[in-house]
Amino acid sequence: MSFWVTVIRQVGRNLRQTWGSQLMTLLTVSLSVLIFAFFYLIYTNMLSLGDKLGDDLTLIVYLEEEPGPELQQQLIKKITTFDEVEDIRFVSSAMAYERFAGQLGQNEDVLDDMPKDFLPPSIEVIPFKNLRSLNQVKLFSAYLAKLPGTLKVQYGQEWVERFYYFTKLLSIVVLLSGTLLILTTIFMVAYTIRLTILGRQAELELLKLVGATNNYIRIPFLLEGLLQGILGSSIGIAALYTLFHWIRIRFSGPGLLNLFEFSFFPPVVTITIIGVSILLCTLGSYSTMHKFLRI
Amino acid sequence: MKNNTAEPPGTMIEMIKVSKLYPPDVVALKDVSISVAVGEMFFIIGMSGAGKTTLLKLISSMEPPTNGLIEISGNPIHQLKGYKLARLRQKIGVAYQDFKLLADRTTAENIAISMEVSYKKPSIIRRRVKDLLAQLNLTDKHNTITGELSRGEQQRVTLARAIANSPTMILVDEPTGNLDATTTEKVMQLLTKCNKSGATIVIATHDDSIYRHTPHRIMELRAGRTYSIVGGNGT
Repeated sequence: MSFWVTVIRQVGRNLRQTWGSQLMTLLTVSLSVLIFAFFYLIYTNMLSLGDKLGDDLTLIVYLEEEPGPELQQQLIKKITTFDEVEDIRFVSSAMAYERFAGQLGQNEDVLDDMPKDFLPPSIEVIPFKNLRSLNQVKLFSAYLAKLPGTLKVQYGQEWVERFYYFTKLLSIVVLLSGTLLILTTIFMVAYTIRLTILGRQAELELLKLVGATNNYIRIPFLLEGLLQGILGSSIGIAALYTLFHWIRIRFSGPGLLNLFEFSFFPPVVTITIIGVSILLCTLGSYSTMHKFLRI
Repeated sequence: MKNNTAEPPGTMIEMIKVSKLYPPDVVALKDVSISVAVGEMFFIIGMSGAGKTTLLKLISSMEPPTNGLIEISGNPIHQLKGYKLARLRQKIGVAYQDFKLLADRTTAENIAISMEVSYKKPSIIRRRVKDLLAQLNLTDKHNTITGELSRGEQQRVTLARAIANSPTMILVDEPTGNLDATTTEKVMQLLTKCNKSGATIVIATHDDSIYRHTPHRIMELRAGRTYSIVGGNGT
C-alpha cells in the first residue's frame, strides 16, 4: 500500500471520528472568508468607483487677472510642484464668456448687455484619476488657494470628502474582517486538530511504537487543515458569488447600484483569497501539531 | 552470580551496564549486561518488580536508559531519531503486558496496524490477519471490537499484532498470564515457529511452565540486577 493511500485513509478515519467539530470548523472558516471577501469586494468596487468619479473631477482656480505667458509657466511649475496632474488648462475671460454663452443656447441674448470680460479668468486643474489624488484634493485645493492672484478654488468638495471618509471606513472594516479571518481560521483549525490529537492519543502512541514514521503520523493532520482551507474558502467565495448575483438580479432596475458598474473579483484575487485561507488553515494545523504531537 | 559472557556471532541485542532509575530513587535496573544473538530465543524471568518489563521497555526504545549502552543490530537505539528509529521499530514486534489495544477498533484492525505502517498491500494484510487469527483460535473474533474481548483473547490479539509484520525481533511480556494450558501451548508453538523462521525472541515471564524444559538461555533478574544467566550452549 502506498504512502498516500495510507495517509488518505487516515484522514478519512479522522474526519469520520470528529465530523461534528470538523463541520463546525468548516462553517466558521467559510463564514470568515465570506465576511472578509464581502467587505473586500465592496472596498475594491469603491476604489473603481472613485476612479470613475475622478473622471469628472476638476479643480477650478479663479484668478484676479489674465496671466501672461511667463506667469502661466510659473503657475504650472507651482502646481506640478505639489503633485503630478493629468492636465492644466488656462481659460481666459473671453473663453469663459463663450462657453457660458454656448451653455445658455437660445437664451444667449441675456448676455447682450454684459461686458465680454465679466467672468474671471481661471485655471482648470485635472488631477490623476486615482484614489490617492482624490484623497489629496482637499490638500491640493488649499495649496492652490494660497497661490498669488487666486480668487477662489472650486470643486465638488462635499462628495469628495464624504467619499474619502467612506473609503477610509471601508479600509478599516476590511482590515478588521481580515484579522477575523486570520484568527478564526488559525485558531478554529488548531482547536479541531487538537481535539483530534487528544482523542487519538492512545492510537498515536501505539503508532509510534509499531514504527510509524513522523510523516505517517503528521501528514494526515496537515491534510485535515489543508482540506478545511480548500473547502472552507471555496464555500465562502461561492456563497459570496451567489449573493453577488442575487443582488445584481434583484437590483437590476434603475437605482443606486446602476450608477456604477459593480463587478466581482478577478480570478487572480479569488485564487489569492483561497490560497491565503488554505495557508492559514495549514498553519493552524501545523502549530497544533508542533505543540501537542511530540514525536 | 553465574554469568555467561560468551558473545555469539551476529548480535541482535547488546546491553552494557544498563541502569534505569525512576525518580525520586527507584532503581528498576542496575548494571545489566547481556548479549542476545540473532535468531536466539531468550527468557527473562524473575518475580514481579524484578525489572523484566523495564528491560523490555528499554530494548524496544519505549524508554531511555539512565546509564549504559543498548544496541539493536549494532544501532544505539536511544540515539536514533525520526525515520531511522521508525524503520528499526518496524522490525521489532512487541506484545505489551498492558496489551495497548485500541478498544474501539476490531481485532482485525488492531492486528493490521503494525503492517499498515510499513505500507503492506491491503490484500496481504487481510490474508496475514486471517492466518494469525486461525493460528490463535480467534477466527470468529475477526470483526469483534477488542474492548469486548476477554483478557485471554486480548492477550492473543496483542501477540498477533507483534508478529504480524514478520519482525526480526519479537519482545513478549508475560505472554501466557491469562491463558489456559492448551492456549499457552498454542502461543508457545507460534513463537517457536517465528524463532525457527529466524526471528529473535525475548520472552519476559514468571510462568515456569514455558521455560522449565527449554534448551534456550534464561536470565533471572532480582531487584533489577542480573542474578543468573543459564542454559543454551554455554551452560
